[in-house]
Amino acid sequence: MNAGRTGAVPPSRPDMNARVEDPAQQVRRLQRCISDLISLLALPAVWSGNEPSQIVDMVLDALLRMLTLEFVYARFTDPVTAEPRKILRVADSCTLPVPQQDVATMLGNWVERNGVHSLPPTGRQFGAEYISIVPVPLGIHGETGTIVVGSERADFPSQTESLLLRVAANQASIGMREAGLRREQKRIADELDRRVAERTAELAAANAELRRSEERWRSVFENSAVGVALTDLNGRFIATNLVYQNMLGYSDEELQQLTFLDITHEENVEENRSLIAELLAGQRRQFQIEKQYRRKDGQPVWVRNNVSVVPGTERVPRFLMAISEDVTHPKISEEALARARSELAKVASITSLGVLTAAIAHEVNQPLSGIITNASTCLRMLSSNPPNTDGALETMRRALRDGNRVSDVITRLRTLYSKKEPSLEAMDLNEATREVAALSLSELQGRGVTLRYELAEELPPITGDRIQLQQVILNLLRNGADAMGLTDDRVRELVIRTERDGENQVRLSVKDSGVGLTPQVAEKIFEPFYTTKADGMGIGLSISRSIVEAHQGHLWATANDGPGATFSFAIPCTFEDLSDAEADVDQSEPASDAA
Amino acid sequence: MDGFHAVPHCVGMESPKGRVGNERPLLSVVVDDDESVRESLPDLLREFGFVARAFSSAEEFLSSDCLGETSCLILDVAMPGMSGPDLQQELKRRGREIPIIFITGRRDDTVRARVLKQGAAGFLLKPFSDSDLLAAIKVALHAA
Repeated sequence: MNAGRTGAVPPSRPDMNARVEDPAQQVRRLQRCISDLISLLALPAVWSGNEPSQIVDMVLDALLRMLTLEFVYARFTDPVTAEPRKILRVADSCTLPVPQQDVATMLGNWVERNGVHSLPPTGRQFGAEYISIVPVPLGIHGETGTIVVGSERADFPSQTESLLLRVAANQASIGMREAGLRREQKRIADELDRRVAERTAELAAANAELRRSEERWRSVFENSAVGVALTDLNGRFIATNLVYQNMLGYSDEELQQLTFLDITHEENVEENRSLIAELLAGQRRQFQIEKQYRRKDGQPVWVRNNVSVVPGTERVPRFLMAISEDVTHPKISEEALARARSELAKVASITSLGVLTAAIAHEVNQPLSGIITNASTCLRMLSSNPPNTDGALETMRRALRDGNRVSDVITRLRTLYSKKEPSLEAMDLNEATREVAALSLSELQGRGVTLRYELAEELPPITGDRIQLQQVILNLLRNGADAMGLTDDRVRELVIRTERDGENQVRLSVKDSGVGLTPQVAEKIFEPFYTTKADGMGIGLSISRSIVEAHQGHLWATANDGPGATFSFAIPCTFEDLSDAEADVDQSEPASDAA
Repeated sequence: MDGFHAVPHCVGMESPKGRVGNERPLLSVVVDDDESVRESLPDLLREFGFVARAFSSAEEFLSSDCLGETSCLILDVAMPGMSGPDLQQELKRRGREIPIIFITGRRDDTVRARVLKQGAAGFLLKPFSDSDLLAAIKVALHAA
């Protein structure tokens, strides 16, 4: 039947031979037609998943058989590849004299030349044969392609044959369209798969990176040498590292039940709270606090905490972080040190006076003890029978000597301590030195000691108490002589030297060639009781040092490169701060005589 | 005479004042770095009837031959090198049970307590009277 659309349907031809069909023949013909139709309609089940070419091929094949055609030809655009295709199938029984290639070419040209829309069926002479050529459009308007069938029969196609042709073409079109769609689907699915795979790989890589980063930071957290604690904004512990846990004696789980203020010493809580408040209010970016925690076992532990706010992210709200260092031991030492210092200060304030008194008492005690012993001995000697007058005389001599010593000590002490402060005058240290040396020369010579002077040419005048400083020099000379009193193998020489010392000081040193000093001894000898010097008529080294220090100077001892030691003191030329008035007064009148 | 008896063998001693019979005098040793003490005390001790010797340091005494003969030691506290209390310890260590009377110019209750605890027979502050010294010696020798 005609579809009624332009060129879409090959018009059937009237039967040329006008053969009359009897009903039985008609029925058979129609049955055959129905069966062929069914076959055609069943094709899609067979060609599911096939290429368009294969689909067309099957259709052509079916037509070739069903309609007993000489050849079938299809020309179409592959919906998948968009390539033009041509298929020619020739029946086995076909006896065309022309090569198949030529047939295909001819048909192709014919289709092209005429355009499918207006193609009527036609006929061709192929050698002795006359072939009916019938085009069948593929697709509604033949846009997909054209099938051309060739039949020996002049009356081809009959009505039913037209129907079959039409149905076959439709099937082919539908099949190709499906194939196209399927291919598209597949392409889309593949694309999707590809993209999913890509995305998954990206995510996997990102995850791996994230995990690595997380591991790294976790490692930092756990292996930190100091305690690290994270808390929420209320101070409740979120996470703590091992160092922190050990410091406090709590486990991580236990800490998560606590806030840091729970374990902070009451003393520190107020300060801690206010610092946190400032932190959270944005008034500060971080704070440091030294405070006491209470461990699980009740023991205190001192820590120095650096606390900051960690800003939040989309996933994680902000929290507090504390870097916590155990400073218990330094703290203990600090406390112990502070205690020791205050003790020392207390003791020092008591003993400075005590030291002085003891020094004086000692200086006096020595000769006094001698007097009493000698006098007691004397009495016994005289009361023995017969009296030991020689012995008595000797003991009395000693007693007198000791008595004189005490007298000297008293005299000097009187001078020394008649005024609290030294009585200052401008004086020349060289002159004072020469005076003292002259006075003690005979004594020194009696001990086999020679004196050598190395006095600086131009020594600036100093402000000092002449008598006191001379006492010091005398003391140093005597000490030097004492040190050499124990040596026989070398020359006993004392060298007195004066010189400028830096910008504003003068230095005096007494060098001996005696027994010398070790560094430990060098300091100890300034202590009042390190040695007793019964022969010393002067004052001890400790008093000498006090005098020098009262002049804002220093007194010290060093071992020589060679044998012996050198005792030196350095005094500033000008006296700092105090008693400028006193100095002026002294200078206006010539230095008054000391006792 | 107070009549102390012993047989001192060490060298350099003065012969004691007149004795009755075969009584031999005891040796009393003074150790003090103070020369005037070394001059005066031995004389007094001789008046007491002792043989007396003086040393200027603990080391000198230890290396002398008088260790075994010393009946009584008059010992200064503060001396350069080995101090009096150190010598007390050393003698103990050596098993020398010599009665010691400490003499010192400085009052130090800690030292006093310590040396007395360690067995010192007496602790005298300078200046001390001859009777004080004698009393201390008597105590020392009777305790020994």
